[in-house]
Amino acid sequence: MTDARDIATEVGMLAPEGTHDPGLPPAGIRRAPEGVDGLTTEHLIINMGPQHPSTHGVLRMIVEMDGEEIVSAEASIGYLHRGIEKLAEHRRYNALGTLMDRGDYVSGIHGELASALAVEKLMEIEIPRKADYLRVLLSEINRIASHLVWFGTFGLDTGAMGQFLYAMRDREFLVDILESITGSRMMFNYVRPGGVLADLPVGMDAQIREFSDGFDAYLQEHHELLGGNEIFQHRVKGIGTIDRDSALAFGLSGANLRGSGVAFDVRRDRAYSAYDDMEFDVPVGSTGDAWDRYMVRMEEMRQSNRMIRQCLDGMPEGGFTAKVPKVLRPPAGEVYAAVESSRGETGIHLVSQGGDTPYRFHYKAPSLAVLQALEEILPGHLLADVVMIIGSTDIMLGEIDR
Amino acid sequence: MAIDRFTGENSIAFIKLEQLFDVARRNSLWYMAFGIACCAIEGLMSASGPRFDFDRMGVFFRASPRQADVMIVAGTVNQKMAETVKTLYDQMPEPKWVVAMGACACTGGPFREYPNVVLGVDQIVPVDVYIPGCPPRPESVQYGFMQLQDKIKKQTEDRLAARRDSR
Amino acid sequence: MLPDATVVKHILAEAGLADTDVQETTLGLVCTVAPAEVAPAFAALKDSELDFVMLVDLMGTDTGEDIELSYHLRSFTRDEELHVKCTVAYDAEIASVWNAYPSALMPERETAELLGLTLSGHPNPKRLLTVDGVEPLLRKSSLIRTLQEVRER
Repeated sequence: MTDARDIATEVGMLAPEGTHDPGLPPAGIRRAPEGVDGLTTEHLIINMGPQHPSTHGVLRMIVEMDGEEIVSAEASIGYLHRGIEKLAEHRRYNALGTLMDRGDYVSGIHGELASALAVEKLMEIEIPRKADYLRVLLSEINRIASHLVWFGTFGLDTGAMGQFLYAMRDREFLVDILESITGSRMMFNYVRPGGVLADLPVGMDAQIREFSDGFDAYLQEHHELLGGNEIFQHRVKGIGTIDRDSALAFGLSGANLRGSGVAFDVRRDRAYSAYDDMEFDVPVGSTGDAWDRYMVRMEEMRQSNRMIRQCLDGMPEGGFTAKVPKVLRPPAGEVYAAVESSRGETGIHLVSQGGDTPYRFHYKAPSLAVLQALEEILPGHLLADVVMIIGSTDIMLGEIDR
Repeated sequence: MAIDRFTGENSIAFIKLEQLFDVARRNSLWYMAFGIACCAIEGLMSASGPRFDFDRMGVFFRASPRQADVMIVAGTVNQKMAETVKTLYDQMPEPKWVVAMGACACTGGPFREYPNVVLGVDQIVPVDVYIPGCPPRPESVQYGFMQLQDKIKKQTEDRLAARRDSR
Repeated sequence: MLPDATVVKHILAEAGLADTDVQETTLGLVCTVAPAEVAPAFAALKDSELDFVMLVDLMGTDTGEDIELSYHLRSFTRDEELHVKCTVAYDAEIASVWNAYPSALMPERETAELLGLTLSGHPNPKRLLTVDGVEPLLRKSSLIRTLQEVRER
């Protein structure tokens, strides 16, 4: 039976006798300063996860607490380390999408798109404009689906349960559309180097438009249900603030970075696919608290809906894939390609040595930076806020552990 | 005839207590919320959502293993996670069942070649129902649960038959 | 998008790194330095006019003879990106750059663990993703399971 001191030693919070390096920050169980009437208390170490209803995957947070307040927090990950980077060295280039699908599994299209763009950049393949539009269309549909999952579970993290079912209902519309186009509800394997798997089926344009026309009203309803709730606002406003300098220093990206006031969006500033044709606004927050991140993501869903309509209206004629060889052999070289996924900047750093499999495939996951920032900002908050702050940053353990 | 439901050999009036408990267990299988990876989104979240509604089968999640009947292992188990899975399985009170959902929990899945991955959760805990797929559709998970209900019914009948034959 | 190579060379020369190798490749602008020069190079680049405030990511590659580390820097005010590379031997000790860029904290732990390096100057140099006793899995010498091993599970 392990007790708290064993766990503390294991994670390094309580250094074994004689091993503490005086040059490093202090570690160990500290006694709280003497309080009223000479009362002293010890800090309590609580283990959250890896099995936990609200950690958005198998995350283990070890928090040291002084009463209800957090003194320090450490994240322990690796419970989902499946070797995406290692296995990619043994897969052909057009099969890398299947691995990326399972990294950030809620927004699979973005991962596939990143690896396809990396291969196309290295091989200098020009793809038909229609394929670009199809990629953007599905990227934005996937972004809304992913943000709906975030919206449902973020409310659950604060204790609200109704919005989860509404979010899942809307997500089912989108997943039906994705299933009709790609063949699968989740692991799409749709975006390939050279283009996409197939064109839109007959009648899909009308089905997407039907969803898109009604979605703005649904989104307003969802916002009023959760965001208009005063209890939710009190729990979320002013909590979990990441200021602008910290956000830049910790390498955040996506809605987390924009919520802290840095207006950087890979779709606009490093435009790829057909995003140079799209008109959209990039919402930016001001204070960097959880409420700003919530508002940024809600507005992003509305902008994605706008882009879906633009894609359908402006869909060009042509083929959906370029003519690429069955076995791709990029020339030797390195390339970095990034996309704006629902969680931030998903980047692929690909090293090729001319063979038919990558030499090195590095997957830059946006959620890993967030975890480092969390260890820094959690001290000072209450235990109930931990779950809410993790939910507001929308991390995904599949891509953190890779 | 309708009245045979109340009289006769297999009727409610003569139902054994064990059969009654068996009916109760089968129709309220509460699973422990233990989503490791991608299958959690499909089999736990979507299946419990408004479209595929697990609740109509009496199935919904409990956060603590102490209150759960079924552990749905949804996702890849690796060496670091294996100890946690075993601990959680041990913490569940009897009677308990394990459902291996998805290719990763059945036999290792698309990541089977990586040395850090355990080739199926049945290397760690005994599994009752295997649901293949990557990820399996929510309807497949519900079908898997129906198979589990049949298995529980069969286990009870076997137990009662053995007791009857040994007397 | 790409910073001026002469400006980068000038800034690094002022920090004491004479005549660094700065080239333009398919990756972008790549600057190669010695492992001991990485920390002073970052300190100089961060505070300079080029304003590289963010370390986007770092990765290590097993080239077969040694390990090549690659750091990716980004400047938002000037919208420019720079890659810095250095080469270390197997089982070498690398100095952490977290003082200049805290976003290196976890990627350095992961790179050290999966490629078999040791970290110095890091506040928490423990393993990140695997349990104790696992070999460096990203090295080319670490093999994945064969079909036979999988079939006979």
